[in-house]
Amino acid sequence: MTEKATLLTVYKLLPQTNCGECGEVNCMTFASSLLERKKIVKDCKPLFQDAKYRAQAAKLADLVAPPVREIVLGVGERAVKIGGKQVVYRHDLTYHNPTAIAIDVSDKLGDAEIIDRVNRTEKFQFTHIGESLKLDAIALRAASGDPQRFAQAVALVAKGSSLPLILCSLDPAALRLAVEQKGVYERRPMLYAATKKNWKDAGALAKQYSCPIVAFSPGDLSELKALAKTLRAMGNEEIVIDPGLWTQGPLLKSSVENLEMLRRSAIQKKDKDLAYPIMAVPAVTWIGESPDPKAAAYKESYMASLLLTRFADIIIMHSLDVWALLPVVNLRQGVYTDPRKPVAVETGLKVIGNPNETSPVLLTTNFALTYYTVASDLEATGVTCHLLVLNTEGLSVESSVAGGQFNAAGVKDLVASSNVESKAKHRKLVIPGMAARLSGEIEDLTKWEVMVGPKDSSQIKEYLDKFWNESKMP
Amino acid sequence: MIPMSEREPSDVAKKLLELAEKFGQIELENVQVVVEELTLQLQPTIAATRGVAALQPSAAKPMDRLLEAEFVKPLEVYPGQVAEVQLGATRSEGGTRSVAVRIGGARVPPFYSFEGANPNRPAFAMDVFDMPLTLPKAIRQHYEGVMDDPAAWAKKSVREFGADIISFNLISTDPGLKNTGAEDAAQTVRDVLNAVDVPIIIGGSGNKEKDPVVLEKAAEAAHGERVLLNSVSTDTDYKRVVKAALEHGHSVVAFTPMDINNQKKLNRLLLDAGLPKDRLVIDPTTAALGYGIEYSISLLERIKLAALKGDPELQMPILSAASNAWGAREAWMKTEELGPREYRGPLWETVTGLTMMMSGADLFMISHPATVRVLRGLVDSLFGIGETDQKIEDWITAIE
Amino acid sequence: MPEKKCDPSELRAETQPALDQSKFPMDIGEMYEGERIRKPDLYAEFGGVDIPEKFELVLVRPMEEVQDGRVEVVGPDLPKLQIGGAYPLGILIEVSGSKLDRDIEGVLERRVHYFTNYIEGVMHVNQRTDVWIRISKKSFERGMKSLAWVGRALILLFKRSLPIVEKIQVTFFTDPAKIEERLREAVKVYNARDERARGLTEEEVDAFYSCVLCQSFAPSHVCIITPNRMGGCGSISWFDARASSNVDPKGPNFPVMKGDCLDSVKGIYTGVNKVVQDRSLGAVQQISLHSLFDHPHTSCGCFESIAFYVPEVDGVAIVHRDFKGPTVNGLTFSTMAGHTSGGTQNEGFLGMAIEYMRSTKFIQADGGWKRVVWMPQQIKDRLKEAIPTGMRDLIATENDAKTAGELKEFLKSKNHPVIERWAELEKAEKEPVPETGREVPPETLPALIPAGLEIPAVGGGFKIILKNAKITAERVIIKREDSRK
Repeated sequence: MTEKATLLTVYKLLPQTNCGECGEVNCMTFASSLLERKKIVKDCKPLFQDAKYRAQAAKLADLVAPPVREIVLGVGERAVKIGGKQVVYRHDLTYHNPTAIAIDVSDKLGDAEIIDRVNRTEKFQFTHIGESLKLDAIALRAASGDPQRFAQAVALVAKGSSLPLILCSLDPAALRLAVEQKGVYERRPMLYAATKKNWKDAGALAKQYSCPIVAFSPGDLSELKALAKTLRAMGNEEIVIDPGLWTQGPLLKSSVENLEMLRRSAIQKKDKDLAYPIMAVPAVTWIGESPDPKAAAYKESYMASLLLTRFADIIIMHSLDVWALLPVVNLRQGVYTDPRKPVAVETGLKVIGNPNETSPVLLTTNFALTYYTVASDLEATGVTCHLLVLNTEGLSVESSVAGGQFNAAGVKDLVASSNVESKAKHRKLVIPGMAARLSGEIEDLTKWEVMVGPKDSSQIKEYLDKFWNESKMP
Repeated sequence: MIPMSEREPSDVAKKLLELAEKFGQIELENVQVVVEELTLQLQPTIAATRGVAALQPSAAKPMDRLLEAEFVKPLEVYPGQVAEVQLGATRSEGGTRSVAVRIGGARVPPFYSFEGANPNRPAFAMDVFDMPLTLPKAIRQHYEGVMDDPAAWAKKSVREFGADIISFNLISTDPGLKNTGAEDAAQTVRDVLNAVDVPIIIGGSGNKEKDPVVLEKAAEAAHGERVLLNSVSTDTDYKRVVKAALEHGHSVVAFTPMDINNQKKLNRLLLDAGLPKDRLVIDPTTAALGYGIEYSISLLERIKLAALKGDPELQMPILSAASNAWGAREAWMKTEELGPREYRGPLWETVTGLTMMMSGADLFMISHPATVRVLRGLVDSLFGIGETDQKIEDWITAIE
Repeated sequence: MPEKKCDPSELRAETQPALDQSKFPMDIGEMYEGERIRKPDLYAEFGGVDIPEKFELVLVRPMEEVQDGRVEVVGPDLPKLQIGGAYPLGILIEVSGSKLDRDIEGVLERRVHYFTNYIEGVMHVNQRTDVWIRISKKSFERGMKSLAWVGRALILLFKRSLPIVEKIQVTFFTDPAKIEERLREAVKVYNARDERARGLTEEEVDAFYSCVLCQSFAPSHVCIITPNRMGGCGSISWFDARASSNVDPKGPNFPVMKGDCLDSVKGIYTGVNKVVQDRSLGAVQQISLHSLFDHPHTSCGCFESIAFYVPEVDGVAIVHRDFKGPTVNGLTFSTMAGHTSGGTQNEGFLGMAIEYMRSTKFIQADGGWKRVVWMPQQIKDRLKEAIPTGMRDLIATENDAKTAGELKEFLKSKNHPVIERWAELEKAEKEPVPETGREVPPETLPALIPAGLEIPAVGGGFKIILKNAKITAERVIIKREDSRK
């Protein structure tokens, strides 16, 4: 059984001189940062510059490298990392590097249309739970069959956008013409694709310009493995594998099986020849003459969503319809949330309905599930109130009361910072039933009267009807 | 000899490097470089995963043929198995359903069909309510005219929309709504049973005190039909419901709010109370897409894996309320910039349901007909049924 | 609310518990748990800082010795007290049940605190001989005019939550003469209990107990609780787990038969390993109960403290949750907690309860207290009696050393026993590391990139700009740098 990367096993392979060149105070903290993926192995300069550490350096790189290689797509600010997965199931750790979403642009389109599509891709943005959900790359398709046109289109996009690029053509000569343009090769575009027919030239091109390269072998995993292995032997390191995606019929079944088998091989069986990020192309739902745009977009959307829970590290989509992309980016956000960290919402004073100064003031935590459940119950039952959201580090009421994150001092600070005293004439605070044990303390510190509400937010309306009497407000 | 002055500096560098690459080392004598401005960039750190530095665009190692490689299927063996539950009883079994539906029985993780065949397909139940309620337009438009009549509503769902099962929810029994009595509610159950011949799930209103009473009476009214009583939890009178289930031949849903330990405890309690293992379905909670779905994903995956690895307290089929997706504002809000909600809504429910299905859910409660249609089609494909002539090898040129 | 008359003298004969909550003059419920009774609303209080005679004791008695539902007040009752006054009080709760034994007394006693707080108008703080109770004017005026009502509420709550308590009687001592005698007896009971708890060893029992309460957060984690090893959260002792297992055999605590002892120093048992394998669904194969190194015990995440290895001094340091800021190895509690939690076995790191440091078997496989080199002042003070006298001054705190270097100096100056291990370490280090002759991978050398072939810098770097320059060289060598020769 291969050794696991832990604080000590990593530490043992470091120089242990606590020299500080990596920017950490000592080797132990560097080991910790390395495991948290805040630092990379090569940040330890002595390890790689001093001859006596050669063996260790190699061992360390091997030990901490994720079983699925991490690849950087593109350059500069918009560069995006893909792969780097450590586990098959997110509950075993977390998934790193959200699936990159590339939008395709055909070189058959006119220049203005190309620019429009690129702009729309760049502009796509939604904020959800405090995070900005965006698209990641452009995949240019050599659909015209004319290498000159393809090269032109590529140059045009490279000039107008800083998004990472994927150049799609099975003709290596066309790829070469496109890559060898100033302003393009510097961007290290991903090359799609090396196949059993063109791997020699495609592989050489990729190596020459240090471009990541995709091995494409639809439906044949042995051939895919051979391609990846060969590309690696040629000197390519940044390889992506595309086992092919059928979105209809029994071949959809084998497509899903292939994704599952590839990921399991890389992570559980530690197959080095397949230790690469996986690409899938849900855009194939658009294949055919005049597909119904709504139907194709609809299908592409749920296919892309399926791929997010079946190990795709990068996908190419065709639709730019907001309604079709929205579920995909939302699901991606959820799937790539670190399950070890509780999800929190913004703290402060929220309103439910249209409260005035005599409306009740309720208190809840900033654990996303708690907050949304409470807010939704209140809205559904027609309650109008002020809702104070306390920072409990994203923990639920029960956990945070037990762990101390939900405490009277925090409530006092929240009352002050939220300025709720200017919004409500009264000084009565309704706290969740599970926080009953803090009622006295909260009263002492805030000088408000505390009412202990129900444990379940679905019963708040009933509770308020019974105990909250607005006419008795001062 | 390279006339340096006649070339671009980058060309010069390139040429020099090509030569160096070819011969391993080149030497230049009596070099003089005269420049107006020369910028040298020292980069101490290049991102580790990058390939060779640009100064060395070295050629690939030449290979004349593909290396040999054989892909071996990474198979696992699972000591455990999920129980199978039958919904609905046919005439020969003492009921009046025309066909029974079996769920569960998984021997391998969901859709890991390369290592085994799971015996049953996911099944889809459509929501029917015992009183009209406010539903998003995308759903409502399909049920105009039948929302006043549960029997008609159920009929339409089966005949027009292909529901395998009807999920009939007695929400009017909620003291906060109509406070319908258990006896009256039981009557509507009989009406629905007479209207359709598919298995049914009977849901309460969610009121913890009243539901056991309502479900007890409903169980009586549905005697012999092998319905699924939805649901009990650790803070309801589950014993009462189990008793009714045993007396009248039904199955029970054990609901817990996203807590695997609580689920195991509840399952234990129900089995101890005498409920047979093949009469128990679990609902660990489905959170809507965008509102915590990831919790459900990991919960279901953990449950399925634990069951397959042999944990007897989690070897039950899983129910997913995919229609919870409609609680997300993105599903029903009329917002221009989010695009037309007639697509957005059902798609939201579809993605929620699909995600739960891939995570291990066996039985679904769904509101929109399009969701049923799409998911059923997907299941066909995933079970290898159907045909296709989709050619993807040339997708680059085949998309318009 | 109409006043309920309650004459203490009548209650002496009471044998039927009033289990009907609606008959109580005051309300009872968990919502009152945090209720405070402040001076303006204070009717009277018992115990507290200025009153030395107070105690609260639960005793398990034989069935025939307990009169179920009996409540008695020995001495003056509430109406006789002065408003706002403070008085001595002894509470004696006697219980019996076929599943109860004396070891459960402490567990039941802890419940008295919670149950008393559930009573509207009654506030309860601390336990044993520190107990402090306040009665509110409001509840008194509403009809709670006798301590007997508190007794009846306790009976109701005990019976409702703990069916294994089959019979229960409550006696309040407010007569100072009677309290003194009872207090002496109570103290004897507490001491005997503590001694028994401390004295009991793993060797003397057949079964340990498991706890899977936090498995929701860490699926592969199970805590093994022995008389010498408390659960990592610090809330559950072997006695507590045993009691809980008896009360709810299907709950989170269940017995773990020891099986064969494979290593008594490390604490490796076949029975334990089997349970750990089963419960973690194969993720964890084996654990040592008393070692940081060889297959350490796993943790979920709610442990109170961490014992961690400091390689520079070959010693073990300790940090607790309340300690903010970096420890002697540069990492904070929360950073190390991240590496130690989630049910993983992390050699050199162990999440533990603070009470575990009082155990006679505390990391005995690694040298116990003799191996401990650093710990925060706060817990050093708290655990003073647990640390062997000779070691107390040899263990550094954050005031003595903040880095491994400083720690090494400190330990040398104090002649800490761990120094003996250093001689062996140094011997090992002197062996030369064999060279492999591998070249440094090219991507690590600083890259000189002429302006035309720019790659946008990642991770910093500098530009050297030469203006109007003339560079002359006799020779310029451009060499291909890789392992191909």
